Amino acid sequence: MVSIGTRRRLALLASAGLVVAAFGATPVVAQGDPNVCDGVIEGPLTLDMTMHTGSNPGAEMATVEAFNAGPGAELGVTINVIAIGEQAYETAIASAAAAGEMPDLVDMDGPALYPFAFNGLLRPITSCASEEKLGTFLQSIIEQGTYEGELYSLGSIESGMGLWAHKSMLEAVGARIPTGIDDAWTAEEFDQVLRDLQAAGYGANGPLDIKWAYGAGEWRAYGFAPIIQSAGGDLIDRSTMKSSSGVINGPETVGAMTLFQTWVQDGLVDLLAEDDNNFTVGPDGTANTGDETPLSWVGHWMHSLYSENLGDDLILLPLPDFGNGSKGGMGSWNWAVSSGADGIPNSGDEVDLDAAYAFIDYATQQESIERFVNGYGAVPPIKDLSAFPGFQPDGDRALYIDYLENAHADPSLQQAGSMARPATAAYLFIRDRWSEAFADIIAGADVQSTLDNIAQQIDQEIEDVGY
Amino acid sequence: MGAIPGEAAVARGSGPPDGRPRLGGDTLTGWLFSAPAVLLMSAFIILPFLLAFYFSFTNERLLAPPGRETQWVGLDNYIRVFENPRFWTALVNNITFAVIVVPLQTFFALFLAILVNQKLRGMVVFRTIFFMPITVVMAATAVIWIVLLNPKGLVNTFFEILTFGNFHPDWLGDPAYALAGIIMVSIWASVGFQMVILLAALQDVPESLYEAARLDGANTWQQFRHVTLPGIRNPLLFVLTITTILAFRLFDQVWIMPDRPGGPLDATRTLMVDIVDTGLNQQAVGRGSALSVIFLLIVLAVTIVQRRLVKQEGEIR
Amino acid sequence: MSATTKRPAGQGATLAEANASIRRQHLQRYVIAYGVLIVLALFFLFPIAFMVAGSFKADTSVIADSGSLRAFVPEPFVGLENFQQAAERGNFWISFRNSVIISAGIVFGGLVVNSLLGYALARVPFRGKGLLLAIVVALIIVPFETLAVPLLLMMAELGWTNTLHAQIVPFLAQPLYIFLFYSFFLGIPRELEEAARIDGAGPATVFFRIAAPLAKPAYAAAGILIFLASWGQYLWPVMVTRSIEARPLPLGIAEFQGLPPRDWGDIMAYAAMMVVPLLIVFIIFQRQFVRGVATTGLKG
Repeated sequence: MVSIGTRRRLALLASAGLVVAAFGATPVVAQGDPNVCDGVIEGPLTLDMTMHTGSNPGAEMATVEAFNAGPGAELGVTINVIAIGEQAYETAIASAAAAGEMPDLVDMDGPALYPFAFNGLLRPITSCASEEKLGTFLQSIIEQGTYEGELYSLGSIESGMGLWAHKSMLEAVGARIPTGIDDAWTAEEFDQVLRDLQAAGYGANGPLDIKWAYGAGEWRAYGFAPIIQSAGGDLIDRSTMKSSSGVINGPETVGAMTLFQTWVQDGLVDLLAEDDNNFTVGPDGTANTGDETPLSWVGHWMHSLYSENLGDDLILLPLPDFGNGSKGGMGSWNWAVSSGADGIPNSGDEVDLDAAYAFIDYATQQESIERFVNGYGAVPPIKDLSAFPGFQPDGDRALYIDYLENAHADPSLQQAGSMARPATAAYLFIRDRWSEAFADIIAGADVQSTLDNIAQQIDQEIEDVGY
Repeated sequence: MGAIPGEAAVARGSGPPDGRPRLGGDTLTGWLFSAPAVLLMSAFIILPFLLAFYFSFTNERLLAPPGRETQWVGLDNYIRVFENPRFWTALVNNITFAVIVVPLQTFFALFLAILVNQKLRGMVVFRTIFFMPITVVMAATAVIWIVLLNPKGLVNTFFEILTFGNFHPDWLGDPAYALAGIIMVSIWASVGFQMVILLAALQDVPESLYEAARLDGANTWQQFRHVTLPGIRNPLLFVLTITTILAFRLFDQVWIMPDRPGGPLDATRTLMVDIVDTGLNQQAVGRGSALSVIFLLIVLAVTIVQRRLVKQEGEIR
Repeated sequence: MSATTKRPAGQGATLAEANASIRRQHLQRYVIAYGVLIVLALFFLFPIAFMVAGSFKADTSVIADSGSLRAFVPEPFVGLENFQQAAERGNFWISFRNSVIISAGIVFGGLVVNSLLGYALARVPFRGKGLLLAIVVALIIVPFETLAVPLLLMMAELGWTNTLHAQIVPFLAQPLYIFLFYSFFLGIPRELEEAARIDGAGPATVFFRIAAPLAKPAYAAAGILIFLASWGQYLWPVMVTRSIEARPLPLGIAEFQGLPPRDWGDIMAYAAMMVVPLLIVFIIFQRQFVRGVATTGLKG
C-alpha cells in the first residue's frame, strides 16, 4: 500500500531512468520530445476526453463527431467522449487524477485550469498553436489559457455577463438606459433604479434576479466578483498572488458588499426563484402581468430563453459601476491536454501531443465555433465577428464584446471592461471561500468580519500548500 | 408459557451457556462463519481507516505538484482542527441535532408502530405509506424538499393556514430555522426505518401479557409502561443507538439543501460536512483524516455514554 | 371485551340507549384513529405526490404551482415527455442496469456475509468473540466518507476503478446489519436449536436449517434497507467510475442539476424513475416480511 507521493516518486525515478537509458543507448530518433508539437502523429490513436454535460451537450458532441468523421479520420485520431454531469465534474476529475487515471484531453471551466497546471496534470500546448492561429483569438482566451508563461488551453467559447432587462419597465419608472459599458449605472443610480422598480410593484420577490438557485459554486464567483472588482477590490492581490488580505477585505470590497447586503435586506433581490420563470413570465407562470422581475443579473446563456419570451422588450445593460468602472465576466470552458493517465509529466504514458492538439485545433476553428455560438448563444472567442451578427456593434449582445475587448487584470484601473478570474492555483480554494462568504453576507452576516475571516483562510492555505 | 421469548437469552448475554448443552462450541465453526465478513471489513473498512489514520499525521493532499513530498507533521492537523471555530460549531450542531432528533424520531417511530399495529382494517396500507419516504433516494428527497421548503412553497402555505398568515419562515435561508427544516426532512425521510423495527418488536409481545395486565386493572398508559416498553426493550435500545449514530453522520441534507453546504451561516454545518469539505473539496487529505479520527472518537464516546446511561436506568427500574 | 353492557352513569338508562352509547364511543375511537392515521399519511405522502405530479407537468409550471394545491395537479399535462427527456439526458437505461446489478450484488452478498457473522456472534462461542463484537459495534460509527479517499487509492492500486465490483465488494460487510442480525439471533428461542444439537446436528446445520429460516423478518428488513442504501449511493460512484458503463442512477440526476436550463419537469421525472422501482420492490417484499413475522412462531 503505497501513498501517492511515493508512487509519484517511484514513477519519476523510473521515467528518469528510461530517459537516461534512451539517450544513452540510442541515437536520438524522430520519436521527438513528447511535450512538443513536432507535426508528426503516430496514429491511429484513440484519445479519451472528459466533457461536462451542461446546458447544451449537443454542440460539444456534434463537434466531436464532426472531428472523428473529418479531420480525425484523416489523421487517424479518434476522440472517445466521457460525459460527466457538471455538478460532479470537479470531484470526478480530481478523483481520476488522484487515482492515476486522467483522460488524455480534458474540458475545464476557465480558471479551474490553474490548479491542474500547478499540480503537473496538464501539458503545455505552447509549441502547437501557431502565431497566426493565436492571433485570431480575443486576448482574453489566450490569457485564460496561460499559466506561468505557458499556454495550456484554448477555448471554443467566451462568456459575457450583464443585466438583462425589461425595457418597458425601466421606461415606466423613468430610469436612464445606459448605452454601453462606459455609461453604466453607478451604484447609487442602480440603488435608485431598484427602489423605483420596487415601488412600482415590479418583480414579485424583488426587482433584481441573481440566479440564486444556481447554488454554491462557480456562479457565485464568476457572477459577483465583478462587484468588488468594480469597487477596486479583488479576490487576491495579483501583484504577489500570495495573499488576499487587504483586497478581499479592504474598504472598497467591504463598502460594495455592504451596499449589496442592504439591497438584499430591503427586499430588492429575488432569492426565492427556483427556476427562470421570475424574469420571463413571472413566478405564477403567466406572462405580462407586471409580476415579472425587471432585471436579471446573469450571463449570455439565458439569451435564447429570454429573447424568446421578451422579444423586443429585452435589452442588455452593463453591470453597475461601483467606482472603478463596470467590470464584466470573462472566460469559459476550454480544452486542455493532460500529462498522461498518471498525471505525472514525462513519465512515458503521454499521448502524442499533436494528436491531442489536432482536436483542440479543430474545436477552435470557425466551423466549430459557429456550432457553439449558434447552439446556445455563447460569446465568440475570436476577433472576426462577421459570422455572428448578434455580437457585432449593432447586435443585441455587442456589450459582451465591448467588455472583452477592454479586458484587463488590474482592478485599480478606472476602466470598464472584463476582469479575468485570477490565474492562481489557489483559485478553487479562493472561489469556495468567496462563495461561502457571499452566501453568508446575503444571509446577514457582518461584512467586515466575514471577509476578514476568508482573507485569513486564503492566506493560510496559500502558505500551507506553497502556491 | 409466560416468558417473553428471548428474554432469558438476553439476560444471559451471549456468553457460554450455563449448564445447557453448548450450541456448537466449535471455535472453527465460529471463525468460518465470521471469516467472510471479517476479511471484508478488514480490507475495506479497517485498512482504509488505518490509512486515513496514517494520513492524519501528514500533510497529504489529494493532488500535488510532481516534486512535492508528503511530510510528517505530527499532531499539527489535530491542533489545527481544534483551533478552528467552525469545528466547534459543527460539533455543537451535531449535538443539538442528536439531542432533538433521537428522542423525537424514536418515539414518533414507536407511536407510528403502535398506531399501525392496531387491529383495524387497512393498517397494511398505512404502514406502507409511512415507510415510503425511505424508498426515496436522498438526492431526490433533498431536491424535492428544497422546493417544498421555499418560503413560498407548500410547507409555508400549510403553516400560514394554521397561523392565519403569521408563520412562514425562510426554512433554508434563515439561520434560526434551518436546523428545524433539516430536522423535519430527516424525520420524514428516516422514521419509517425505525418504525419497521419497532413494529416487528411490538408484534413479538404476546397479547396474553396485555390481557393479564388488563385483568389486573391496568389502563392504557400503564399497559404501555409495564408490558410494551419492557417487551421491546432490546429493539428499542438498538433503535436509540442506531439513531444516535446516524444523527452524528448527518450529511446529505445539510450539504445539498441550504443556501450553501452547512449554511446558512454554518447553522447546519455538521462534522461530516467538515470532513468532506476539508478532505475532498479543499483536498487537504491530512487534515480531513484527522477530522475523521476525531469524529470516530467523539461518536464512540457518545455511544458508550448513552449505553451506560440507559443500562443504569433499566437497572434502577 | 365482553359483549354485555356496562351500566352507563345515570339512572334508568335502557339497554338500547346503553348499546347506542357504546357504539358511539366505538365510532369516536374509530374516527379518531383513522383521522390521525390519515393526517399522518398526508404528511408522508405529499412530497411524493408532488414529485409524481411534477413529473407530468410542463417544466415552467412545476415551480410556479409549488405554493398551492395546484402542485398536486398534473396540469399542464405533458404526458411522458419529461420522462423521455430525462431518460435521454441521464442515460437512464444503462445507469439503471448498473444500479440493479450493484444493488443486487450488495444485497445478496451482504445478507449472506452479515448474517453469518451475526449468527456466529450470537450463538457460537469462540475465542475472540467478545472483542470482535466490540469492534463491529465500533465500526458502525465509521461513515463511508471518512474512508473515501483511502479506498479510492486502494481501488486504483487494485485496478478496480470504473468497475461494478468496485461498487459492490467494499460494501458487502456492514457492521450495522451484522449488529442487526446479532440482535435478532440473540432474541430467538434457544430451545429449537438446542433440540437440534441434542439430535446431533452440527452448528452449520443448525444455522441453515433452523436459525436462518427463523430469521426471515430480519433478512427481509435488512435486505430492503441494504437495497435502499445502495440504490442511492452518489459520492463513491462519482469518485470511482470513469464512464457510463459503470455509472449508477444517482449520477444521472447530477446531469440536470447544473446550470440552466433547470427543467424541473425532467428533474421530477428522473426522481420518479429512481423511486418507483424501489417502491415496487418494497411492496412486494413487505408482504413476505409480514408473513415471516406471523409464522416464525415467535409469539408465545
